[in-house]
Amino acid sequence: MTDFGTLVARLIDAGVELIVVGGVAAAAHGAARTTLDLDVVYRRAPANLQRLADALAPLSPYPRGAPAGLPFLWDARTLANGLNFTLVTTLGDIDLLGEITAGGGYEDLLPHTVELEIFGRRSRCIDLESLIRVKRAVGRPKDFEALAELELLLELRGR
Amino acid sequence: VLVGGVRYDRGTVKDEPLPKDPVIEAYKKDVDVTLLIENLKRTPQERLDRMISMLRLTEEMQRAMKARR
Repeated sequence: MTDFGTLVARLIDAGVELIVVGGVAAAAHGAARTTLDLDVVYRRAPANLQRLADALAPLSPYPRGAPAGLPFLWDARTLANGLNFTLVTTLGDIDLLGEITAGGGYEDLLPHTVELEIFGRRSRCIDLESLIRVKRAVGRPKDFEALAELELLLELRGR
Repeated sequence: VLVGGVRYDRGTVKDEPLPKDPVIEAYKKDVDVTLLIENLKRTPQERLDRMISMLRLTEEMQRAMKARR
């Protein structure tokens, strides 16, 4: 099982600029569903790529689902040359997203975040309205139930 | 991408309100709203703790099922 708390704390403590999105954000907003991985949108500034690479390096990140033994080099250059990375680490699964559909990159998404006290840290998290918008734009059938729940949460919060 | 009558171009968050999506509206009737109401009384950390407890329970049950085979 992914150790969400240790992963988030490790990244925040390393000064990585990130926004928690996906299932963990949904759960933090009150969704009753579970998720298996941590999804974050990270800032693509060179210094942040270095912090992110350094923070995850001891956790042996490796592309999830890829055959073992590929020549995968984990460093800031790899991050700079790619965009979205679905990784397995010794603390569990993490998706590092440079951009998300209908959300854009870190800077685009930042005005649509809230700061939450989670896992003992102040963490930036996508706000509920934007999470709904992003999930709608992706349009995956598997998200329909989750979307119904998120929209009901928004309605309940507004009462 | 055109979803629910809203066009998403490059992909940044728009501020206009989203129209109701009939598919999602249909799914809403099957959601246990009582769970959401209870969750809204909790802090974000308490909500995450509950999710993690559920994942642990699922993992334990899967382990037990495997051991039984």
